[in-house]
Amino acid sequence: MTSLLALDGLAKYYGNIIALEGVTTTVEAGEVTCVLGDNGAGKSTFIKILAGVHQHDAGEVRLEGEVVRFNSPRDALAKGIATVYQDLAMVPLMSVWRNFWLGAEPTKGRFPFTRIDQQMAKSVAKEELFKMGIDIRDVEQPVGTLSGGERQSVAIARAVHFGAKILILDEPTSALGVKQSGVVLKYIVAARDRGLGVIFITHNPHHAYPVGDRFMILNRGQSLGNFAKADLPRDELVKMMAGGAELDQLTHELEGA
Amino acid sequence: MAAEATDEHDKDDKDDERLAYRGVVQRMLVRPEIVGIMAAVLIYLLFWGVTRPFGNAAGVATVLDVSATLGIMAVAVGVLMIGGEFDLSSGAMTGAMGIIIILLVKETGEMGGAGLSYWIAIPLSLAIALGIGWLNGAMVEKTALPSFIVTLGTFFVLKGLKLAGSKLMVDQIQVGRADEGPHYNFWQNVFGSTWERRDHVWDARDGVYTVLLLIGGLLLTVALFELVFRRRAELNAAGLPVFVVGLAGIAIGVVLMHALDGTDWLPMFVIATSGVAGAVGLGMWRYQPIAARGAITFAPDVVRPVGIGLAALAAAIVAALVLDPADDSDIVPFVTEQGLRAILFMLLAAAAATFVAIANYRAREISVMTKSAVLGLAAVVTFAVALFIQSESQSTKFRTELFAILAIGSLLVAAWTVVSTMFETRRAEDPAADRLGRRIAMVGGGLVLLGVLVRLLFVVQAEIDADNRSVLAVFSIRIVWFVAFVAVMSYVLRSTPFGSWVYAVGGNKEAARQIGVPAARTKTQLFMLVAGAAWLVGILLAFRLNSIQASTGNGLEFEYIIAAVVGGTLLTGGYGSVLGAAIGALIMAMSRQGISFAGWNSDWRQVFLGTILLLAVVANGYVRRIAESAR
Repeated sequence: MTSLLALDGLAKYYGNIIALEGVTTTVEAGEVTCVLGDNGAGKSTFIKILAGVHQHDAGEVRLEGEVVRFNSPRDALAKGIATVYQDLAMVPLMSVWRNFWLGAEPTKGRFPFTRIDQQMAKSVAKEELFKMGIDIRDVEQPVGTLSGGERQSVAIARAVHFGAKILILDEPTSALGVKQSGVVLKYIVAARDRGLGVIFITHNPHHAYPVGDRFMILNRGQSLGNFAKADLPRDELVKMMAGGAELDQLTHELEGA
Repeated sequence: MAAEATDEHDKDDKDDERLAYRGVVQRMLVRPEIVGIMAAVLIYLLFWGVTRPFGNAAGVATVLDVSATLGIMAVAVGVLMIGGEFDLSSGAMTGAMGIIIILLVKETGEMGGAGLSYWIAIPLSLAIALGIGWLNGAMVEKTALPSFIVTLGTFFVLKGLKLAGSKLMVDQIQVGRADEGPHYNFWQNVFGSTWERRDHVWDARDGVYTVLLLIGGLLLTVALFELVFRRRAELNAAGLPVFVVGLAGIAIGVVLMHALDGTDWLPMFVIATSGVAGAVGLGMWRYQPIAARGAITFAPDVVRPVGIGLAALAAAIVAALVLDPADDSDIVPFVTEQGLRAILFMLLAAAAATFVAIANYRAREISVMTKSAVLGLAAVVTFAVALFIQSESQSTKFRTELFAILAIGSLLVAAWTVVSTMFETRRAEDPAADRLGRRIAMVGGGLVLLGVLVRLLFVVQAEIDADNRSVLAVFSIRIVWFVAFVAVMSYVLRSTPFGSWVYAVGGNKEAARQIGVPAARTKTQLFMLVAGAAWLVGILLAFRLNSIQASTGNGLEFEYIIAAVVGGTLLTGGYGSVLGAAIGALIMAMSRQGISFAGWNSDWRQVFLGTILLLAVVANGYVRRIAESAR
């Protein structure tokens, strides 16, 4: 069986700086692949390659078995890869339903009278959000009045509705409180259960472990390995994320001083 | 750490609670044009108080005429601002388009133009306008400079071209004449015709107007109940007869008032008591009584604004008593004592009302009884002011009409106080109640509007006798263009994908682009829209003035921006409405005409405008904050 998305030895260089090298992992439909790494580990570069913002310099990206290269964000989107960025592609003063449909408004009527089918747009938005487990009481309320977790979930629901096969989430929980993070993790699971391949980028192993099926840890542009959940106990993941040996070293230095 | 987590938890829960339901007031407050509407009503009342023309069709026609060209531009500029850009060349462009169209149709000759038919010149000039708009948009997009700078450049180029071009083509700084062009007469009908209407005498006017206003007001009250209060699980039949008796009492009171010629106390008393009884009856019949009302608490947050409000009102009354209403001489430079009295009284009274409204809003958070205390006080004070005006005012108009408005107002507030103390406010969605309430409100609002129109369009014989003349009202076709433009743009902004994109590119351009909105194209189209509007205004000017000065329109671009901002458009983009910009233009036109009707020195108009702008920006920000925090 071919993986939904397979990355093999992916690399990206900015001049003589190695931003990313030797990244290998797979994303299966209905599974969550977590990409973990500290600041500067290469997570952003990784996302940008898959979202079509940058192109990789070496290695291979195979989408459903075919070797592909994403030339632009639009290209990546057309191929079914939706990215929900940390700063969110949302217009805060616009209503939830208008944000949900932005750029792809459903219309009715002939040319001079072409107008948004508001009734349908509102009910579908509400329904799609509800399917993701988000109960927005009033889809007319501005997105800016939603909590951070709800905003993330509207973005996720939108990506799901517009037929994404792979959903990339860029640090969706980093700016959120404990409860809100839990809410977002629930939506990640909901998206997974609807058959999407999810790439969940985070620096928090405690958020990654409960939802992840596969883990790839990045450190200074290098992959520290690609593990299935069964091969990686939680403590091991936490230790690798915390920098393992480096932390031991730090502890030693601090205690010594 | 654990405590922090709990706090976070609690806060989130409360947020969710608050998101659950937005009351009708919050939903109204969140509309961008709400402050503009209130300001427009206030300014209309101010000038209606101090001038005669604001009360008749002729004056209203003039105000609408002035607001039309300003409004068309304000709407276009407002939409551009929602899209996050400015166009400083918009003012100069109106004059430029007028000059271009005249040069296109003007007879050929030594001092001449192209001699084209209007049938060719009109589309050709539109194409030129759209070209200029496209150029503005393309330059802003390609250079990624602020549109402020780019269009400032266009402004100077246009300004210079108008002057140099006029001198070059006709050797004058004024280009005429529009009526030399072939097929002038046909297009004169489209862009320059007027409808003259002599006042029609209809002695039943006041009766009809009163009844329409009363029924409209009642329907609006019922609609408000339906929208605000929580329905009972089962109707309480006991309330219905009380409600019906209340309605009958109001009707009897009106008939009595008519019979006694409005000089007796009895009808007022009958109307007031039956009004309150009717409201209570309606409440008993349909709505859930309150279980716990709380105690009256004199919190400083509430007492302070009430105190300031009362002080402002006292100052208003002192001003009215001290200043001589009959004195026409200047008391401070350029303002007559009479005028100053009116302005001071109106402004201070408005300030008082605002502070009491703030107190009421804060009291709601404390307890039902506290809120009722503030409202009850407001009702009593309003009635006292009505009595004061009736006894003091020199003007018959104030003595009768303003008294009636304030008396009815205080009655409504009193009834509301009683009812809102008795019945529970709705805290959950009820689509059926919302739909019914909205429909009743629409009918009620329609009747009120009809009443106002009747009041404006007809005169009674007594007024003509007093004035010794009949007034000619001249409605120009540009009013139709204005209304049509507002309607079309309103529709486009609300109901088309393009409208959504405008809000999106203004609110968060990067996000819009990321998600597939053609941001650059949308913005360019907005610049073309402004240019198109300038073309329309240029033609309207050409047909009105017949010749256009080279300086026409220069400097007006800031008036368009002010109108849009007064109407609730956010300077930073992403928020605003077409109706708001149109109302902003109406406010500007009213203040311009009102100052001249009132005989005040028009040099002060700029001061007035600047003050309105500042107040509007502050009020818009404040109301938006209330509206958003209340959810």
